[in-house]
Amino acid sequence: MGSKDSCRTELRTAIRQLSDRCLYSASKWASEQLVGIEQDPAKFTPSHTRFQRGSSSIRRRFRTNDIPSTPAAGVSYTTTPVPEEDEIVDSDCYLLAKSYFDCREYRRAAHALRDQTGKKAVFLRCYALFLAGEKRKEEEMIELDGPLGKSDAVNHELVSLERELSAYRKSGNIDPFGLYLYGLVLKENGHEDLSRNVLVESVNSYPWNWSAWSELQSLCTTIDILNTLNLKNHWMKDFFLASAYQGLRMHSESLSKYEYLQGTFTFSNYIQAQIAKAQYSLREFEQVEVIFEELLRNDPYRVEDMDMYSNVLYAKECFSALSYLAHRVFLTDKYQPESCCIIGNYYSLKGQHEKSVVYFRRALKLNKNYLSAWTLMGHEYVEMKNIPAAIDAYRRAVDIDPCDYRAWYGLGQAYEMMCMPFYALYYFQKSVYLQPNDSRLWIAMAQCYEAEQLHMLEEAIKCYKRAANCNDREAIALHQLAKLHNELGRSEEAAFYYKKDLERMEDEDREGPNMVEALLFLATHCKAQKRFEEAEVYCTRLLDYTGPEKETAKSLLRGMRAAQSGLPSMDVEHFPP
Amino acid sequence: MAGSLKPVGAFAITPHKVSVCILLQIYAPPAQASVPFPFSSVSQHNRLGLFLLALTKSCDDILEPQLDELINQLKEIGGLLNHWLSEHLTRKLSALSSPDDLFNLFSSLRSILGGPETSILEDDQIILDPNSHLGMFLRRCLLAFNLLSFEGVCHLLTNIGTYCKEAVSSCPPYDLPDEDDSNNDLEELLEYEDMDLESFVFRKVAEEAEARKRARESATFHTHTPRSLLGLVEDIQVSADSKYKNCDGIGQGSEFLGPSHDTFRGDDHNSGLFLRTNWQVQGYLREQADLIEKHGSSFPLNAFESILKQLQKLAPELHRVHYLRYLNNLYHDDYPAALENLHCYFDYSAGAEGIDAPSSSSSFISYGNYEIALLCLGMMHCYLGHPKQSLEVLTEAVRASQQHNNDTCLAYTLTSICNLLSEIGISNATGIIASSYSPVTSIGTSLSIQQQLLVLLRRSLKRAESLKLTRLVASNRLAMAKFDLTHVKRPLLSFGPKASTKLRTCPIDVCKELRLSSYLLSEFGSDGASLTIDGAFSTAWLKNLQKPMASSVLSQENRSENGSDAFQFGSQPSSIPGYVLQLAGASYLLRATAWELFGSAPVARLNALVYATCFADGSSSADLALAYVKLIQHLAVYKGYKEAFSAMKLAEEKFLSVSKSRMQLLKLQLLHERALHRGHLKLAQQVCDEIGVLASSVTGVDLELKTEASLRHARTLLAAKQFSQAAAVAHSLFCMCYKFNLQVENATVLLFLAEIHKKSGNAVLGLPYVLASLSFCQSFNLDLLEASATLTLAELWLSLGSNHAKRAKALIHRALPMILGHGGLELRARAFIAEAKCYLSDPNFSVLEDSEVVLDSLRQASEELEVLEYHELAAEAFYLMALIFDRLGQLEERESAASSFKDHVIALENPKDDEGLLLDSYST
Repeated sequence: MGSKDSCRTELRTAIRQLSDRCLYSASKWASEQLVGIEQDPAKFTPSHTRFQRGSSSIRRRFRTNDIPSTPAAGVSYTTTPVPEEDEIVDSDCYLLAKSYFDCREYRRAAHALRDQTGKKAVFLRCYALFLAGEKRKEEEMIELDGPLGKSDAVNHELVSLERELSAYRKSGNIDPFGLYLYGLVLKENGHEDLSRNVLVESVNSYPWNWSAWSELQSLCTTIDILNTLNLKNHWMKDFFLASAYQGLRMHSESLSKYEYLQGTFTFSNYIQAQIAKAQYSLREFEQVEVIFEELLRNDPYRVEDMDMYSNVLYAKECFSALSYLAHRVFLTDKYQPESCCIIGNYYSLKGQHEKSVVYFRRALKLNKNYLSAWTLMGHEYVEMKNIPAAIDAYRRAVDIDPCDYRAWYGLGQAYEMMCMPFYALYYFQKSVYLQPNDSRLWIAMAQCYEAEQLHMLEEAIKCYKRAANCNDREAIALHQLAKLHNELGRSEEAAFYYKKDLERMEDEDREGPNMVEALLFLATHCKAQKRFEEAEVYCTRLLDYTGPEKETAKSLLRGMRAAQSGLPSMDVEHFPP
Repeated sequence: MAGSLKPVGAFAITPHKVSVCILLQIYAPPAQASVPFPFSSVSQHNRLGLFLLALTKSCDDILEPQLDELINQLKEIGGLLNHWLSEHLTRKLSALSSPDDLFNLFSSLRSILGGPETSILEDDQIILDPNSHLGMFLRRCLLAFNLLSFEGVCHLLTNIGTYCKEAVSSCPPYDLPDEDDSNNDLEELLEYEDMDLESFVFRKVAEEAEARKRARESATFHTHTPRSLLGLVEDIQVSADSKYKNCDGIGQGSEFLGPSHDTFRGDDHNSGLFLRTNWQVQGYLREQADLIEKHGSSFPLNAFESILKQLQKLAPELHRVHYLRYLNNLYHDDYPAALENLHCYFDYSAGAEGIDAPSSSSSFISYGNYEIALLCLGMMHCYLGHPKQSLEVLTEAVRASQQHNNDTCLAYTLTSICNLLSEIGISNATGIIASSYSPVTSIGTSLSIQQQLLVLLRRSLKRAESLKLTRLVASNRLAMAKFDLTHVKRPLLSFGPKASTKLRTCPIDVCKELRLSSYLLSEFGSDGASLTIDGAFSTAWLKNLQKPMASSVLSQENRSENGSDAFQFGSQPSSIPGYVLQLAGASYLLRATAWELFGSAPVARLNALVYATCFADGSSSADLALAYVKLIQHLAVYKGYKEAFSAMKLAEEKFLSVSKSRMQLLKLQLLHERALHRGHLKLAQQVCDEIGVLASSVTGVDLELKTEASLRHARTLLAAKQFSQAAAVAHSLFCMCYKFNLQVENATVLLFLAEIHKKSGNAVLGLPYVLASLSFCQSFNLDLLEASATLTLAELWLSLGSNHAKRAKALIHRALPMILGHGGLELRARAFIAEAKCYLSDPNFSVLEDSEVVLDSLRQASEELEVLEYHELAAEAFYLMALIFDRLGQLEERESAASSFKDHVIALENPKDDEGLLLDSYST
């Protein structure tokens, strides 16, 4: 990776160029990373260091290796972008167009540049046309909303844009920005392979355009595609890979990439949020909460990614924190899908499911493909016992992203609630296939098999075994395994699992009926196996509890003593050679 | 529903509907005249009315026709008027240039509707009854237009613009030279020459629009086509095959080709395409579903899949598409895809998707009809041969429908459980049914699985009767007949006083059930479930317009016009719903099977013939194939292989040879039989192995095939004189049949075991087997098999020595009437030879005195055996003949018989190799 200074200079130039071409979100992203680079305290006055929320213990916790061993930095891309030759010549028209563009008058902007031939002007004209088409498309989507959900609104500019840009590309008269736009258009037109190649070309010649990278990422749907990309080594590639890994649900790989990037971009909010995302997927809620708290302190008006934070708060049942967050995003921008989702979560936590559905619906109105809102709405409908609606909502989530294991799981649960365990199995199998390391899914499947109606205990045992092997937090699996084995009359296996469960409970300092059950079983089992000493230990432990078990333990002890006293003769009697 | 944010089934106004409205205005102008202005006769006027009716009802496609198609159809109908009509239509349409024109058009349309209270009509006033089909259509159009927002009106206007332009620009195919650019090269691939290229070739009025359009078109051509095109080509080739191989297939082929035209048109540009009304699309889908179920795996998978994809794109909220995809995948044995789509369909629709309005009873809202999902899933598993899953799912379906008080679904579920149990062998209930809830075990575990099946059958029959589900009752009666055919009814009580029951099957019961089943079908009209697609009539009527015959008749403009019209409407697919035909047909098929078992070959053949001739249209291709199989088998047994194989060839052309089909099996059976007779054992073994491979490996599935295969295996071994192996195979087969309660097969197997002992020379050991077989035959009324067992018994006695010849002769004479009346060539020949042998070994019989008695039967036997090419027995017959001639001193005849004997022995020892060739020619 280049030094911090080189990154900084590269980014500064890039930001200027990007915003000059009205690529605002890319420029926003670049600026975020720019201020995220750790300042050299020697050079700057304290006012600059206000971004340095340094010495935070949290960050230390996440950064496992302070000086990461990077892949060879020598190949790093060092050339600065080409200076723009046509900037001065057509700047008047360009300036006019740009101001139109900034006022979101895209067609006017395009018109103002109609006769310009410079690469920059061509790009802006095409880009403006593209956006104009998109805007019209959005409008038409609502206008054309047919009775059967037909939404064939298309961006009418795409075809002509594709033709024009491909001509430019053929003649070699195109810059990386034009390539980015070309890739975008190709992608919209459904030419994924070509689009991928064009985008790779674009990012290889101009790596600082994050928008191009994210388009590329959305085209990498499998790891094989990702691996076949021919990308030049540049520090931006690391950002890309981290994000792509996340998209492919390779969370730990993604996490390590981000942690490595944090070495340079220490204060990047973006990286922090992404780390939080990865941690969230790994279900490390505590850490996610800490990260978000800090993120909010530094960037209080952030709405992006905050829905995830609200999920964490929901899971931890932090009423006031969630309401505070909801209030804040509401004031910041209430018509963001994320805001609606947060409010929906809040109402859900409060148990007001109807209201919650209203807000999820609003979120979906703002973004029809907002995956988590569909799933969360499904949860709400489940709470409201409106199972068909819940199934419908989950199904939509699944159709948007067939890899969303939560929605599959929700579908399974919904059918299970309707007493259709066999039917539900299909969905649980799907979710388990997507997320094989999640014990909850295995347990849900096992419970299905175990259901009274199916009673397929062998299959249930297999599932519980898988669950026990993947870090079952609630420790349901071990107990169930013991119970099922006991039920099937396999006392050895049952004892094994009861013992394991017992150890675990001791380890985690948990008490409860499970403990008593385990002790009782082990005591009787050991007694039956003539391991009296062990049995005695369990019995004495049982004596600490009140209830009928205590009496049973007492009588067991008594019986054992009697047996031991007459042991020699009994032994012979009971076990003839 | 959660996601369906809009009301499903709304009626959108489209350019095509606007044109229909304009035509309606011509049909019923506000001016008063008995025959309005442009029409010259009443019949002409009526024709337009019929045409409009058909347009709004037909369900042959998912998309509304383009303007040019509409004009073409108008030409067919309008006769002399066609120019005026199409001119008027295009002029009116192109005159619509501002939103206000549209408003004016629709407000003028209002005047052709009669008011609700105008009961007093003047005589010659033409007013659309607001409650007639056309009136409703017009009212819906008006309503839909009134509901449009201004944006909507603008869009409608633009759409009408493109609709007109495309009609103007589209020239007749082929005569448009491609002058401008090379983009079209791609489209001129030879494969598509029979597709309507016109839709690809646009000549835009406005230059710019053309360029844009073309670019888009070629662009999308890149994206979507490779896959769908390949699929199309593949499918078309298949259906073209079927089309050209025989004349019968033409209807089929063109049926399939029809939709692929449309896909082709539709896939590439979405701008000017509109779905028909929801009602029409649903009708189309229902028709296609029927077709899939009828044709099974010979239905073109990919072509239809691409139509469905397009439909899904155009109407994402129309969930029935998923169901069709499920069916399509199911019948092409694509398990994962079928499963996926089934789940998807029921997740979205919750089991309720009506024609126009979803049913909104209160119980549905809270629960949905997911038990139907379970029922479908269960039937799917059953179809694909997963008995365990199927039973689990169906059990769950029973539970769910009980819980939700869905009695209809419960009745259907019980019936499908019965089907499952009767189709799939289940040895013991506890092994396969784990749940204590299951309806099967809840009856009581003390009963055998067959008794449980009987109880279930009775219950579901009763349930169906009480719910007045006529078709279910009919099919339950068929199932009952099937059960009665092969099972002895035992008393269900295991204690208490026992009524004296004969342990025999009761053919009368079978006949009664069969008769009752088809009797009920006459009441199909009263069945609430009988939803006919009345759009089918309109569809067929519209299709007939294109037929050259029709147009030539119509262009004459004489009074025969009306007559031909009536005729065409009358000759539509009959008004009896398809399922009634299917059920009635099934009863004939079952009759054929029953008579086959009971041993009356002519009646069995008659029933199969009735089925093949009368029910061929309505029945599924699998059932029809079964009828053909029965007929061909009959030919093989009674007329020899030559005729059977030539019939087979014809049948194979009719039914696209699919692996695991009945045709395939039949071919292998015939080949095996012939190979055995000719003594070509290697080939026999090979064919026999092939049969074995056809069966599924799951226990309990494909039992029929499995018994067939192992019986044939044993027969091959016997022919190879490996007696102990043959006996072992037969023994294990007997065990399997016993385990799965296949009593009828048991009779056959026992007889075969006796045969083995006879051939191995242990006649005494064979006797108990043949006696056991005889008693089986008696209790199941298997008369022909009984005769054949009697013959074997006689042969066994005969081989015990000449002192038993008399007894043997008596036995043969007892069996002869049955054998001569119903037996096949082989059986008759065997009987003749055995009879001759009896006479010959009878010490009281003198050849010299009464030679003709023996010679006659031997001659008959040899003739029949030569037809069969059964060398071994033929040699025996000739050998006996030669002996007799020798005794008689007729040397010439003796020599000829001896040489025939020699020929057959040589042929037996050196089986000719032309069989290999034949096998090749049949297995390709």
